[in-house]
Amino acid sequence: MKLWHSFIKELKLSSRGFYFYIELIMAIIILTVVLFAIPEDFVSKDTEYMYFDLPEEMIDEYRADILKDDLDGKAEYVDVKSGKDVFSAEYYETDKKKYYVVKSKAAAIQIAETERPLVSAVMTLDDTGNVHYKYYLQGYETERLKNTYLVIHNLDINLLKEEVDHQVVRSLSTDYEKLTDRENVIPSLLTFNGSLMGLFIIAAYIFLDKQEGIIKAYAITASPVWMYLMSKIWVILLTSTLSSFIIVVPVMGLQPNYLLLLLLLITSGFFASSLGLVIASFYKNMMQAFGVVYLLMIAMILPNIAYFIPSWEPIWIKVIPTYPLIQGFKETILVNGDTTYILMASLGFFAGGMLLFLMANKRYKKTLAA
Amino acid sequence: MIKVNNLYHSYNKDGKFAVKDVSFEVKDGEIFGFLGPSGAGKSTTQNILTGLLQLQKGDVTVAGYDIKKISNKMFNKIGMSFEESNVYSKMTAKENLDFYRKLFDVETREPEELLKLVGLRDKANVRAGEFSKGMKHRLTFARSMINNPSLWFLDEPTTGLDPAIASEIKDIIKAENKKGVTIFLTTHNMYIADELCERVAFIVDGEIKLIDSPKNLKLQYGDKLVEVEYIKDGEPNKETLSTIQEDDIKYLQDIIGKYEVQTMHTKEATLEEIFIKVTGRGLV
Repeated sequence: MKLWHSFIKELKLSSRGFYFYIELIMAIIILTVVLFAIPEDFVSKDTEYMYFDLPEEMIDEYRADILKDDLDGKAEYVDVKSGKDVFSAEYYETDKKKYYVVKSKAAAIQIAETERPLVSAVMTLDDTGNVHYKYYLQGYETERLKNTYLVIHNLDINLLKEEVDHQVVRSLSTDYEKLTDRENVIPSLLTFNGSLMGLFIIAAYIFLDKQEGIIKAYAITASPVWMYLMSKIWVILLTSTLSSFIIVVPVMGLQPNYLLLLLLLITSGFFASSLGLVIASFYKNMMQAFGVVYLLMIAMILPNIAYFIPSWEPIWIKVIPTYPLIQGFKETILVNGDTTYILMASLGFFAGGMLLFLMANKRYKKTLAA
Repeated sequence: MIKVNNLYHSYNKDGKFAVKDVSFEVKDGEIFGFLGPSGAGKSTTQNILTGLLQLQKGDVTVAGYDIKKISNKMFNKIGMSFEESNVYSKMTAKENLDFYRKLFDVETREPEELLKLVGLRDKANVRAGEFSKGMKHRLTFARSMINNPSLWFLDEPTTGLDPAIASEIKDIIKAENKKGVTIFLTTHNMYIADELCERVAFIVDGEIKLIDSPKNLKLQYGDKLVEVEYIKDGEPNKETLSTIQEDDIKYLQDIIGKYEVQTMHTKEATLEEIFIKVTGRGLV
């Protein structure tokens, strides 16, 4: 009952303060961004500028080829701005690319310099009557891309196509659906707004209490200090769960396994809050603790990079708690996500959180008069 | 009610003691004053007695509980009024008391009754953050009584209060003591100690220099003087004379016989003067 009363008191106090609403307001802002600013899937079309220094019959053949894939089947005549100059061009748009066919080599080169498209290409006939391609690149392209341009014009294109067509791509796991690009950002947002925010906020609550001397007053009651600490954690868990659901429900609907999501939110929130308690026990105010908290946050953000750029995933990054947390959240929102992974991650966070909580309890008992 | 034997405490555990070899006993129902200047070791001792600081060396028993194996049940018996007010500023006065009463396992006092006692009845539903320093202090004081403590720790209970309120607080302390509450009073204010305490301990540099009743201390250390104001040749005069020295006694008799005496008071040494005499230190 004492724990319950402490929790109600903490809830009342936090609802009268600023920090309680930070997470909720942030969740609403994030939801707005996710729904209205992040597209369902990122589709970007490369832009190419071309100049055909070829006989008219060959140009017509190229035009016909492009028009086959053009969205509306006809060329548009547009003006292309390049610095102070304006060049007239034919515009074609397919599913994957946008093409501008300009009327001079000089225009293609100038646009390559000023507009920085994927590529500007000039096609001419060499002395032997073969089409010669000259690409104007930006200078930062990888060797792989440059080699690709070389290869596609020096090998039989039909042979290449045949090779590519015969490549077999086999998915190792076939019983889940891929997340859309919008859904794919959710695990990262849950990690930082849901779980890790608790680390900051509980530290802020503790520093506020230290400022008011409240912990000392609590210590001279028949209620143990761990209840004081746990009541704060409960408030953090409540707000982080609420803010996470504000983001997840409108974006994901009924797809996630909400029971497992709740479990992971609670255990990871417990871990992060306990870590916040331990850190706050060493300092008198947020200013003093800022350096440590900042470094910790930077470390926690690193697995986020690995999540969005899977090719960068050093082994050491898997030790950082946010790595399994992001992966765990991903599994909770996937159709047929890996339940074992979520349960193991939850168990790990609970065990780690419990250790940190015991450490925090010992620290606070020891430093009550400080 | 309190037994302290050979208590030592070092904050940095480097051999520099904030409290060294402190021993004393507080009897049931007594008001015991722990007096000394800032940094003397008063708060360190009090924090050890209330469990806020861990006991390092020595034997301490508080309200029948050994401080080495501190039990939460002990806190049902003790109350503590802190020198620096520490109440929830975002909660009203009543909410503060309502919350704290739920943290004890014993019968508690009604918040309204306590607020009335300290003159805050009209402010029951006002958030403590809007209170003046004195009002917060009174709320902290009221909170320390919520569990009907049989041992009451008071740290500078009248600091920052205007004289009228300070007088009311002293009356409350006396009334609680009459009910049998043992009081451990920590202060550097010798006047309140003189008025309230049955025994006082002088502590300086972590060591107790003396323990006795204010009355005995005055008898032992105070000069027996009389201060007399009289009119001589139409002009007011003032003398401070010894009631022991022959010359002064004769001179006093002369004054009484020959001149118009306006006022005459025996002048006892104050506790502060005795403290300075005994410890060689001031109280600030």
